[in-house]
Amino acid sequence: MSSDTLKKRKAKVIRSDGGTPETKRGRGEGDQGRFPAGVSNVDQKKLLSVKNKEVRVYNEEVELEGRDPEQDYVLYKSTCDSLAKLMAEIQELKANGAKEGSEEVEEKLRQGCVHFITLKKLNRLAHMRLKKGRDQTHEAKQKVDVLHLQLQNLLYEVMHLQKEIGKCLEFKSQHEEIELVSVDDFLRDAPAEISRPHLTKDDPHQLTLARLDWELEQRKRLAEQYKSSLCSKEKILKGIELKKEYLGSLQPGLHAIMQASLPVQEYLSMPFERVQKQAEVARHLPPPLYVLFVQANAYGQACDKNLSVSISGDVDEAKALSRPPEDSQDDESDSDAEEEQQNTKRRRATVGVQLDDKRKEMLKRHPLSLCIDLKCKDGSVLHLFFYYLMNLNILTVKTKVSASADLSGAVSAGELLNSESLLNCLYASDHGQETPNPANRYQFDKVGIITFADYVSQLGHPYNWVQCLGGLQFSSDRPQAEGACSSLSASHMEATMKLLRGRLQSRLALHKQFGSLEHSIVPVSSECQHLFPAKVVSRLARWTMMSHQDFLELHFVQHVAKAGLVKETDLFFMAIVERGTARLQAAVVLNPRYPEITPLFSLSLLWKGERSGRSDDNLRAMESEVNVFRSELQGPRPGLQLLTNQIQRLCVCLDVYLETESQVCDGSEGPREFPREKMCLRTARGPNRLKPFKYNHPQGFFSHR
Amino acid sequence: MSVFSQSFSPCGRFLAAGNNYGEIAIFSLSAALSPDATDLSQKPILTFTAHEGPVFALLSTDTHLLSAGNGEISAWSWVELTKRSTKAVWTRRPNYKSSLEIPEINAMIINPKDNSLIVGGGDNNIHIMDMETGTFKSVLQGHTDYIHCLALKEREGEILSGGEDGAVRIWDSRTRQAVHCIEVFKYEECARPQFGKWISCLATDSDWMRKLLVFLSWGGPDESQFHHNIFAVGEGPHVSHCLLGGSVKAQIPCTSPSLNTLALNLSSTEHRVMTAAGSSDKIDVFTNFSYRAFSLSF
Repeated sequence: MSSDTLKKRKAKVIRSDGGTPETKRGRGEGDQGRFPAGVSNVDQKKLLSVKNKEVRVYNEEVELEGRDPEQDYVLYKSTCDSLAKLMAEIQELKANGAKEGSEEVEEKLRQGCVHFITLKKLNRLAHMRLKKGRDQTHEAKQKVDVLHLQLQNLLYEVMHLQKEIGKCLEFKSQHEEIELVSVDDFLRDAPAEISRPHLTKDDPHQLTLARLDWELEQRKRLAEQYKSSLCSKEKILKGIELKKEYLGSLQPGLHAIMQASLPVQEYLSMPFERVQKQAEVARHLPPPLYVLFVQANAYGQACDKNLSVSISGDVDEAKALSRPPEDSQDDESDSDAEEEQQNTKRRRATVGVQLDDKRKEMLKRHPLSLCIDLKCKDGSVLHLFFYYLMNLNILTVKTKVSASADLSGAVSAGELLNSESLLNCLYASDHGQETPNPANRYQFDKVGIITFADYVSQLGHPYNWVQCLGGLQFSSDRPQAEGACSSLSASHMEATMKLLRGRLQSRLALHKQFGSLEHSIVPVSSECQHLFPAKVVSRLARWTMMSHQDFLELHFVQHVAKAGLVKETDLFFMAIVERGTARLQAAVVLNPRYPEITPLFSLSLLWKGERSGRSDDNLRAMESEVNVFRSELQGPRPGLQLLTNQIQRLCVCLDVYLETESQVCDGSEGPREFPREKMCLRTARGPNRLKPFKYNHPQGFFSHR
Repeated sequence: MSVFSQSFSPCGRFLAAGNNYGEIAIFSLSAALSPDATDLSQKPILTFTAHEGPVFALLSTDTHLLSAGNGEISAWSWVELTKRSTKAVWTRRPNYKSSLEIPEINAMIINPKDNSLIVGGGDNNIHIMDMETGTFKSVLQGHTDYIHCLALKEREGEILSGGEDGAVRIWDSRTRQAVHCIEVFKYEECARPQFGKWISCLATDSDWMRKLLVFLSWGGPDESQFHHNIFAVGEGPHVSHCLLGGSVKAQIPCTSPSLNTLALNLSSTEHRVMTAAGSSDKIDVFTNFSYRAFSLSF
């Protein structure tokens, strides 16, 4: 630009002034003799030449600084005015008809041209001022820009530094995550070369470093210890392995020794082996059976040599039952999946079958069962099999009798040793038909079992004493008079075993007696002969068993039934005693707990009319003579002769009755049917004229009670 | 259990009954007959064992209850009994000869004229005891079998006794001699061979001077008479109303299968009842002679 401007100025100057070839200089360098670099070669030549000649320099820029823009403006205005005036004059002249090229007009034109030149100069000056102003502004702007940039740079740097500072401040050195011992401990424990107290007292940085050093050293030490203890552990483990192997090798050896010692044990009757085996199996017993096993064993060893206990059943199944449930759960889930697949293929089982299965499941027995054998003196054995119903949590028992003597031959005794009813009412009212566990009621409702009695024959009887022996105690519907005992099984064991033995013996004795009774022989042992006179004429004609229904239908037993002395669990018999034309029917109620409970006789006499204990006071007296005097009639302990003695006494009483009956009934004279043979002091006594039924030994006469 | 004897207290509010176990039970009639009687009021207020053997006879004096057991007579104060004290005032035994068996005492009556107690029992004799001194003054012998019952004809001072031998003997109480002996079974119209000849019970009606009423109960041991009606109890479970001629007017059913004793409470106006008891533990109470009202339970 500067060279262009220079060229223009140069041209102007030459044209307008037409005189001296003047050169114009570049900008601003008028004072100095230096030449701007941008000047063209031509100008440089001219400048050089000019310099040598003392040329006058016309520098418009310099002139510009000296002029006042205000004046220039005023000049401009006046020039414009004068030009306008000139034009107006020219116009006037031309209008007045002046010719082309007239002097005045030419003069005016020349003046106008001068004004134009002034205007041009002014224009130039304005342009130059503008340019100058722009350049200045530009420079200032550039300076400002540079400063601005510097400012920006500095700001950025500041920010950057601040960030760095922030980062540095936030920097968490890993050393802070290491837990160090407290300062006091450190100062106390660390050796001096590490803790360097003189340095670290004041300088926290040094303190931390020292602490880290200490920590490191400690850790190294502990790592050493750890390694060494690992090594020793390895050694010990190896040692254990060796010893285990050794022990393992001992086991077969011991076993062999035990086998070899079996005969010795048998010989010395110290059956350790058997006991141990039993104890092994006993581990798998369910808790109630285990209690029973332990107590029965203990009782057998301590008090009763004739009691033996054994366990029977499938041990593997029992083990399977006690396996932990996780295994079975996995199995279940698998089997469930399988089952579902199968079910889609075939029809689902009916509801009835499902219910049946549920019932079977509920009534399931534990695979192991306990067998207790009670031997009696005469060689017969009572076998008791105890089962545990797992879901119902009750014990049941089944019985079996192996008698030493042959038991056939007594028809009426069929029920006596019936395993179903053998242990009925061992304790009063313990029928064993219903489950003693009240919780079972709810379980039964779920699967539709009405009573447990239906399953008793299959599963065994859940007597209360069985539960007590197994240590199971259930709250009963009726409030108990006594509280619960802690050692339930032990306290019941002796009593129950005695009762069981007694029950077996009494039943076997009855069995034998019944055999004899059916042959019309009343077996009276020698110890009891003194109760009866030597000659008894009335004889037992028949001895049969009756059912409960048949018994209740007899008319002469209603008073017994009304008094509540008859239960379904009792056994009923009919004895017929005859003498001549007289026939005495005796209905006997035998309680299962014979001989603890006396059999009850009810009499009806058929002789010249029918009389019963209700209508005839003497028959009533006979009933009381037979029923009431148990202490006389039971004979030697354990009182197993009670029934036969009662029957014999009945025969004796009938004899007395018939012989002392006065012969007045049908007015017939003639010999008495029953001659008086018994010796009686008085044949009648009291307002109701009772006969003498009491036999006095050894005088042998009858008297009244 | 069989109830053999009954006796009302002198005030008429209590009934004593004796059974074959030797026990005596005292019942409160006023409680049992009151409108708000419960089951409990039909039980005895006191039961105690008086004797070893059965109590076949009970008799009430003005102050005491006399009971007869196996060969002994005990006296109890009514006042003490109502206070539930069971201590006997005295116990006496007649002199029995035989020692093999102690005879029972079947009947007791009191002769108010000379304040003596007349007992008859199993030794075939009648013993007379003075109530004041307690000694047995005399023995009337004559029966060949044991004595069932005694009766007294007050005006004539005669004692009547009926026994197992079928004879009714009349004794003079002053001279202690037998005056008469009637063997009833020998009279054809009175003979009852199918039942036996024994005389179970006697009663007299003092209005009739010479007539005595004698009953063989047909198996039955007791009777009582009231306004010319005769009530008899015996082997069947009923009280029979009979007329003097012998016809049976009515038979009222009772709870016991056979009855041993019948008693009328004449000493009290508000508790005028008839009670019957026998071979059960129930004592039937009749407020109206036609039906059984309720039963006391021994």
